[in-house]
Amino acid sequence: MFGFGRKKKQATDWVDLKTQPVPEGHHLLEVNDLKMYFHTQDGVVKAVNGVSYTLDRGETLGVVGESGSGKSVTSLTIMGLIDMPPGKIEGGDVLYRGRSLVKMTEEEMEHIRGNDIAMIFQDPMTSLNPVYTIGRQLSEGMILHRGYSKQQALQRSIELLQMVGIPNAEQRVKDYPHEFSGGMRQRVMIAMALACDPDILIADEPTTALDVTIQAQIIELMQKMQEENGNAIIMITHDLGVVADIADKIMVMYAGQPVEFGTAEEIFYEPIHPYTWGLNRSIPDPVIDEKRPLTPIKGNPPSLVNAPAGCAFSPRCPYATDLCRTEQPPTYVTETGHYSRCHYAHDASFVSANAPETSRTKTMLDHAADAVAAAQEGGEA
Amino acid sequence: MADAPKPLLHVEHLCKEFPVESGLIASHMKNARKVHAVNDVSFDIMPGETFGLVGESGCGKSTTGRCIMRLTEPTSGLVEFEGKDVGKMNKRELKALRRDMQFIFQDPYASLNPRMTIGEIISEPLIIHNVMPNADERIAFVRELLDVVGLNPEHINRYPHEFSGGQRQRVGIARAFALRPKLIICDEPVSALDVSIQAQVLNLLTDLQKEYGTAYLFIAHDLSVVQHISDRVAVMYLGSMMEYSDWRSLYAEPCHPYTQSLLSAVPIPDPDVQHSRKRIILKGDPPSPIEPPSGCLFHTRCPIAQARCSSETPQLREIAPGHFCSCHFAEPNPIKDASIEL
Ligand SMILES: Nc1ncnc2c1ncn2[C@@H]1O[C@H](COP(=O)(O)OP(=O)(O)OP(=O)(O)O)[C@@H](O)[C@H]1O
Ligand SMILES: Nc1ncnc2c1ncn2[C@@H]1O[C@H](COP(=O)(O)OP(=O)(O)O)[C@@H](O)[C@H]1O
Ligand code: SF4
Ligand code: SF4
Ligand SMILES: [Mg+2]
Ligand SMILES: [Mg+2]
Repeated sequence: MFGFGRKKKQATDWVDLKTQPVPEGHHLLEVNDLKMYFHTQDGVVKAVNGVSYTLDRGETLGVVGESGSGKSVTSLTIMGLIDMPPGKIEGGDVLYRGRSLVKMTEEEMEHIRGNDIAMIFQDPMTSLNPVYTIGRQLSEGMILHRGYSKQQALQRSIELLQMVGIPNAEQRVKDYPHEFSGGMRQRVMIAMALACDPDILIADEPTTALDVTIQAQIIELMQKMQEENGNAIIMITHDLGVVADIADKIMVMYAGQPVEFGTAEEIFYEPIHPYTWGLNRSIPDPVIDEKRPLTPIKGNPPSLVNAPAGCAFSPRCPYATDLCRTEQPPTYVTETGHYSRCHYAHDASFVSANAPETSRTKTMLDHAADAVAAAQEGGEA
Repeated sequence: MADAPKPLLHVEHLCKEFPVESGLIASHMKNARKVHAVNDVSFDIMPGETFGLVGESGCGKSTTGRCIMRLTEPTSGLVEFEGKDVGKMNKRELKALRRDMQFIFQDPYASLNPRMTIGEIISEPLIIHNVMPNADERIAFVRELLDVVGLNPEHINRYPHEFSGGQRQRVGIARAFALRPKLIICDEPVSALDVSIQAQVLNLLTDLQKEYGTAYLFIAHDLSVVQHISDRVAVMYLGSMMEYSDWRSLYAEPCHPYTQSLLSAVPIPDPDVQHSRKRIILKGDPPSPIEPPSGCLFHTRCPIAQARCSSETPQLREIAPGHFCSCHFAEPNPIKDASIEL
């Protein structure tokens, strides 16, 4: 992915986009109706079908959805890491500091990946080279993109490993990836991302393969790094707990489409899409009183080749009507930018009748019940 | 005493060591290095109960399950099923045992034979145990089972690859239930599934248990899932049991520092709650089971370890009725100030 050895412009010839101001009227990152389709023997896989969001510095976007919903392909498209063919961008654009990433050359994108936008993956072993030492792999990018000498790069590598909490870093730079545990490898990936001081860090299920105690370490580390550097984070995960922990904004994806997007507050406490409700009702509550029964979403996610006519969620949606089964729902956007792809999202009575109870509505109900009880007591006295 | 309910499964001082160096000579060497996969584990499972087993990767959950079924030979310890010593069973008795004790595996892709139809897969145990010799009767029964687990009986002649992960897990469940076992060891049965499908499978397991009174040993690393499905929950670390209790007291008042840390590390899908909690971030990785720490196995990561912890091994003791914990300083929420440190 870093492509070594080819003749290219000197590191110093480039202007890092991250040092350029965000043009007036733009956000740090703007994804507009992005579409990435794969042309396969079985047909056209509409892996990403109209994704839109904006992101600013210091913000964290959580991307949630079931496997195959297009979370990874969305960010690989942004990073210019999808092979085309079989992939093809069928529409939309990605603007980074006002510049279109979609229109950049591979050489320019390589520079972006080394300096401005970094990505870490679920399985760090796939992105670490087993035959090179950790120190060499950390140094490589700094020599290539920052113009460091070998010695400087190694020194910086040791500092970075210390920063991500690897004990005995002076020794560990000489180790190979297989000598590190899964959690340590993921920390190395974060150190690599830190090395270029990225503007945006994209993390694709960085903790899915890790134990919870290690997951907590990694999330803590990403947050600390963000506090210090002010970078934006895109956190891809299927774990709603993780997004509740760190996301400012959340995009819920289903079958290649963002079905709901909003602030973490909106998605958790005022969700307006039936799929988001379904996810909420499917996860066990960490309770200490009475267990809440789970209400699963029936059926399975659709194939992305022969997507159902109408709303992609209609075969599984308990509220589906004939309209849903025949016509694609429009995107309903509130004043705050909270959006939902559902025919009935604008209908407040539909939403309030069917949205799940949240800890906030429960507290409200409790308060109401308390008030009624207090009033009754007052009446009796 | 006479009416004390008898456990369905009784496990006592179960140990399993694996040789590190493979080969016959290595395993006979006196000081050969060993993986201490399961280390002195004891517990009971009552009929119809769900007993959850949680812990981090490699802590010995699966090995415990496999030793109970004798899919792996334990190094030492006692396993009794309905009062009978499983370790002393001969081939015939073991075969009979496998009627009453079934296994559901984590990976719905790898655990089903790709060359068999799902009808053949589900009827295999019936044929092995010769419980339904009449083929028509058997097919009718398998169709019924498919219906019970929420699969279309018309799909009886399809192959595993034609099904999704969640559907394959249902096939595994139908197969496990075919003989109406008394105990099913479920090893991470929902870990590979998406949340919406996971909820379907968890509900199915709960419904089947209500219907047939089956007991489960439910192995998983997801603490919320285990809490949801279990009556009692045990927490393992480095092959040993740190704590177990009924789900309510374990989750409300963990008495072992490891349980408390583990629970505090699980992010709760509710920002208000998650942002107001104190988190305990444990340092480092779990130590190697090849050279487990002296004294308390958790002392290298324990935020409240004292000098005696590295020399004296704490015993699993009953600190409240039915609540067992192995820590010298066991008390509800023993870590008082949650420090956040890497
Ligand atoms: N056949 C074997 N030979 C050698 N070591 C083994 C063998 N099986 C398991 N182990 C080791 O025993 C320990 C416990 O393994 P086990 O599979 O029981 O863990 P687990 O708790 O089920 O983990 P996971 O959550 O990853 O499934 C680990 O250190 C593992 O590497
Ligand atoms: N190279 C490819 N060729 C064809 N289809 C692909 C390719 N890569 C991904 N897909 C398909 O795109 C869809 C979205 O995949 P992905 O973004 O990886 O999902 P997620 O990350 O949400 O699990 C899936 O249906 C997947 O099978
Ligand atoms: S458009 Fe219809 S089918 Fe789709 S989510 Fe809304 S109610 Fe359900
Ligand atoms: S015995 Fe000591 S080291 Fe072990 S858990 Fe208790 S306090 Fe911690
Ligand atoms: Mg993915
Ligand atoms: Mg296991």
